[in-house]
Amino acid sequence: MIRQVDAETLKARFEPHELQVIAADPQIVGAYFSPCGTRLVAGGFDARLRRWSLEADEAVELPAVEGHNGWVQAIGFDPKGTELFSGDSWGQLRAWSWDKHHVRPAWIQQTAHDGWLRDLHVCPRGDMVATCGRDQVVRLWSTTDGSLQRELRAHEHDVYCVRFHPDGRTLVSGDDRGVVKHWNASTGACLGEFDASELYLLHRLQDVGGARVLRFDGTGGTLACGGTTPKNGGTVQGAPTILLFDVASRNLQEKLSLGAPNQCLVHDMHLHDEGFVMAVTSGTPGQGQLLFQRPGDEEPFVKTTNMPNCHSLSLHPDGSRLAVVATNRGSNGNGRRLDKDGRYPGNTSPIHLLQLGPADA
Amino acid sequence: MSLAPDCFRAAGRMSFRKQVRVSSALLLMPLAGLLAGSTAAAAPPLHQRIDELVAAQAGGALGVASDDAEFLRRVYLDFAGRIPSAAEARAFLADSSADKRAHLIDRLADSPEYVRHMSEFLHVMLMERLGDDQSWQTFLQTSLAENKPWDQFVREILYPEVEDEALRGAAFFITKRLEKYGQNPVDMPGLVRDVGRMFLGVDVQCAECHDHLFVDDYKQQTYQGLFAFLGHTFIRRDVKFPAVGENLLTQKVAFKSVFVMEDLATGPKLLDGEEVEIPMLPKGEEYLVAPDKKKRSPGVPKFSPLRVLSEQLPRRGNRAFEKNIVNRLWWKLMGRGLVEPLDLHHSDNPPTHPQLMALLVDEFGNHAFDMKWLLRELARTQTYQRSSRQSVSAGDADQDGPVSAQSYRRGLERPLSAEQLLASVWQATGPGTAAAASNTDPQAAPEEGSTAATLDELRDKFTAALSNPPREPEISINPTVKAALFLMNDAAVLQLLTPRDGNLIARLVEIEAGEPAAHELYLSILSRPPTEDELAEVAGYLADHPEQRPEACADLAWALLASTEFCVNH
Amino acid sequence: MPGPLCKPWEHQLSRRHWLGTVGAGAVGALGCGGLLPPVLADEVNQSKRQVLFVWIDGGMSQLESWDPKPNTQFGGPFRAIDTSVPGIQVSELLPRTAQQMHHLAIIRSLCTQDNSHSAGVGRIQRGDPKNRGVTYPYFGSAVAKLMGPGASKLPPYVWIKPGSGGFKHQDAGFLGPRYGALAFGDGQPPENLVRPASLSADRARDRSLLRQRANERYLQGRPSSVTEANSYVFDVAQTLMDRKELFDESAFSRKDVERYGSHEFGRHMLLGRKMLEAGVRFVKVNSYGWDTHGDNFNGHASLMPKFDQAFAAIIEDLAASGMLEQVLVIAMSEFGRTPRINGHIGRDHWPEAWSLAMAGCNVRRGVVVGETNPQGTWVESEEYDIGHMFHTWFKALGIDPHHTEYDNGGQPLPIAHDDCGVIEELLS
Repeated sequence: MIRQVDAETLKARFEPHELQVIAADPQIVGAYFSPCGTRLVAGGFDARLRRWSLEADEAVELPAVEGHNGWVQAIGFDPKGTELFSGDSWGQLRAWSWDKHHVRPAWIQQTAHDGWLRDLHVCPRGDMVATCGRDQVVRLWSTTDGSLQRELRAHEHDVYCVRFHPDGRTLVSGDDRGVVKHWNASTGACLGEFDASELYLLHRLQDVGGARVLRFDGTGGTLACGGTTPKNGGTVQGAPTILLFDVASRNLQEKLSLGAPNQCLVHDMHLHDEGFVMAVTSGTPGQGQLLFQRPGDEEPFVKTTNMPNCHSLSLHPDGSRLAVVATNRGSNGNGRRLDKDGRYPGNTSPIHLLQLGPADA
Repeated sequence: MSLAPDCFRAAGRMSFRKQVRVSSALLLMPLAGLLAGSTAAAAPPLHQRIDELVAAQAGGALGVASDDAEFLRRVYLDFAGRIPSAAEARAFLADSSADKRAHLIDRLADSPEYVRHMSEFLHVMLMERLGDDQSWQTFLQTSLAENKPWDQFVREILYPEVEDEALRGAAFFITKRLEKYGQNPVDMPGLVRDVGRMFLGVDVQCAECHDHLFVDDYKQQTYQGLFAFLGHTFIRRDVKFPAVGENLLTQKVAFKSVFVMEDLATGPKLLDGEEVEIPMLPKGEEYLVAPDKKKRSPGVPKFSPLRVLSEQLPRRGNRAFEKNIVNRLWWKLMGRGLVEPLDLHHSDNPPTHPQLMALLVDEFGNHAFDMKWLLRELARTQTYQRSSRQSVSAGDADQDGPVSAQSYRRGLERPLSAEQLLASVWQATGPGTAAAASNTDPQAAPEEGSTAATLDELRDKFTAALSNPPREPEISINPTVKAALFLMNDAAVLQLLTPRDGNLIARLVEIEAGEPAAHELYLSILSRPPTEDELAEVAGYLADHPEQRPEACADLAWALLASTEFCVNH
Repeated sequence: MPGPLCKPWEHQLSRRHWLGTVGAGAVGALGCGGLLPPVLADEVNQSKRQVLFVWIDGGMSQLESWDPKPNTQFGGPFRAIDTSVPGIQVSELLPRTAQQMHHLAIIRSLCTQDNSHSAGVGRIQRGDPKNRGVTYPYFGSAVAKLMGPGASKLPPYVWIKPGSGGFKHQDAGFLGPRYGALAFGDGQPPENLVRPASLSADRARDRSLLRQRANERYLQGRPSSVTEANSYVFDVAQTLMDRKELFDESAFSRKDVERYGSHEFGRHMLLGRKMLEAGVRFVKVNSYGWDTHGDNFNGHASLMPKFDQAFAAIIEDLAASGMLEQVLVIAMSEFGRTPRINGHIGRDHWPEAWSLAMAGCNVRRGVVVGETNPQGTWVESEEYDIGHMFHTWFKALGIDPHHTEYDNGGQPLPIAHDDCGVIEELLS
């Protein structure tokens, strides 16, 4: 990543200011801007795809899209913004014909994976979508008709994340032991590994941590792998961590340690073209951070702590806004806690829409 | 020998509850006499008054006095932390002077071994195997060597000195409890609780969140008041030795009962003492020594709740403080507390002997909280010197179990700490001289150039095999499979039973005749001569193994070391 | 309800308190305590019945195991799968156990009283009886007391656990330390289990005899409890030495190790089977680290397969050898986990509606008892507390829970909560 300007200038340009908070109830896994920038799409813990229109001053929720099971954790658009892909924790992959008014089914792979489909990414050319899952396999599908193009079977564990290189020729996938594989997209050959094993710990019986999120920078020279430096299993604790690798050599260049062990996990991130990392973390209930940090710096130049348990981050196509999915306060507690109406409450996911830079811009 | 008047026999056969009532009534008479006598110049010594009060409440015939050997072993274990050597035992048994028991008590109480043993005793009691520290040991040993009064001792623990190297280890009591263990946060309630348990004899833990459910005396206020003294403390990281820092206490501790959600607040306050007013100091003037971030020095606040605690808690007239230590020292020598559990004093759990408790508290205070004086007086009592064997002649051998335990009609079997057991094994299996016995050099090996374990190595092994886990008070006899396997098979233990220059087995091998060998064996290990049966057994066993004399001697010695008679204080 | 920071034993006020009140000293603590009626029927002492108690410390999620609620608000990401019993489904994280369902009974209507670990672990394992000012024994100590060591002469209550071993007398409560657990830390035998080469078997026997004679002489005129307790630990130590081959992992068949899993829990479960085969009355196999307040779903995705592998293997083996007729198997935690998914993607403590699994002895096979509502938030059928389970387990073992009492130095004490009863539909 190229460091272009100093942190003070970056802070002046990118410091976030809250525009509005959209109440997502019940809670969602993550929310993302559509390529046209007028919609937010979210996958739920309740098997639904949720949508909000951002065209009015206040966001308006549109009817949810049904058809999934379990958790809808994997969501992605093709580069043109006309196709939406979604995958769920029962292994189903769906393609939708997308415009801002309609979501129509295109094709369905009922068992794209045996069980939890954890992540998907559409390649820059738009002809392939990669998926990965708990069945330890990475699969490449034709975006046109959903036909299986290739299976990549070199992981020995649950594959958490997958990402195409910006040039579209290779892709990477990361598993629960912190093994990140580098693949040739057209031959399926495994080109090598990035070692992110410091994001993994066997604690008692539990495999803790792993490579949770993968992102390239715009040039494709740097690969970032996010997760935690695990301290223990059970109630997982560990410093949120991002490892930055040189893609050409696959060597680790830098480790960003982004907080105390109770801040725990980097859930989502984006490598900004201006040479800094945007990341969200979620830890012990109530702990959550949005961080902007340049590689090489000791401290982030932006750090917010007022959004508990942030789970996703999406940069608006125009680069001026950010959507961060957080969690309501008081989301945890042992035993029978009822709301004022005597009902057992679920949690919600406030979606924070943030303006980057001066509030009047 | 029975001191109890016959009229008490009847009470002894009644049910326990009735017995208490009857005994209390009967007590009035001797007590009246006692009070009348106490103003006179010639008040009987404390040990006699103790015996009178115990006898008055015994509820049955008192057992026989211990014989010399039984007394000898007991008093060595209690004052020197080890059994006597064979030579010491022979000398004492041969001594015909009338006051030899009193003399022995005095001699042991003034020996360096008393300092070592009482340091170990207080260490185990106060730290409950949480850990150890050299400076803490220095504090303990210095304090015991000068026979520091208990109130001063506690004062130094609660408001630890920093400058004086001999004293500052006292902070370890607090700092060890401020350490995190495992994944748990700092157990501040645990510190508050232990200060209450160790120095006031009250366990207020359950009163943290609400008034105690079963102990009416323990209010949430009790806990929170004590918490206000201690809750702002932390471990100083700017120095290498254990040291306690204090954050500013500027407002009362707010709390809420989980039952009645009422907002309450208290400043520092001891059980039934006055609440301490928290001074309002202007900003910038709160410190005597301001904190210095660069040096990581925490500063010294002008208002130190710990100092106030150290002034208010350990002092004459604080009955909880006085009763706690008297009860614990009584327990140490008698095997039972006047109040049990030792840390659960409250009005519904009164002492078994209220007048005795009052007497001990008063006299201990009158003698400036002198622990050695009190232990000596207790050891001089007939109560202490009673045999742990049932008095067959008393004709009530059926009177066993809980009732007789608190009647003190018979000596009680008591646990030996890992330290006492090690010192005793070391003594029993060694050269058998007093010089070896008093050898406290931790590097000491059985003999020069030996491959056998040093005393230090053995100490680690004995502690691991025989002590309770951390936070488990060591108050009862607790045989374990682990300890049995240790005594049966541990190489370092068995090594002590191989012949080496002048050690027990070497001496036994040298003695040809069975009878003198049996005497040496029994005096060395059980501190008494063998009985006829035992003489025969030893002689027979040795005769059966003429070719394996060292092994046969080791087997005989091991059997005694592993016997109940050796492993408990009786 | 007690406050969150109270220690487990303190609300039952301890054995120490009781002793303080009635005035027994160190000696009383050594557990006299026969039974009322004084002698339990010989048939119970002679009984071949055994217990395998699988303790999942920290709280296994019922929703990710025995009571899945797929596609509901709190149901989590996982699917439910069919089992060997038509109509019964469990979480997809239990594929092997699902194939053993015809041996199992699942109870889905537990509703217990404590949502903290510090108090909950003890309360559950002590059966949470009415407070009578004493510390009740853990289930293992209770069975050790009520049924004795049986013919094996091995310690009646062994505990195979990660971490440290030793003799855990605290489990015994008022029964006294001899009914505590002998813990094999990290599955290893206790230290000093092997007689040193320098000591021949003959000498070892001789010196033991000499020790016993010394104790007999010491006993004359003294109460017996201390010496009895002391002798007992030497006897147990000797029996363990005689059976040290039980701990020899190199003698375990490779096939067994593969089936149970080479991980800690698999190895411990296999050792547990060896202990049962050797005749140990009560075997507790313990796993730690299930307190998934954070990352619950990835946590269970990693933990459950290891439980599933070892648990399914031992059920299969006990069934195949016929031992399941005699061995009562229980797998449980101190509570379940909240339906609500917190911000750390975790689940918190949930005693309100949770599940456990049982098998063997007189337990009905291939059944589910009780149910929760569709959201999994509350029990819809009759709620059962741990006291009901204790009644049921005792009955399964042939001990009448209503008419058997402990004798705590003259104080008669019921062996299970007075207000609870046997869950008859769990027993055949």
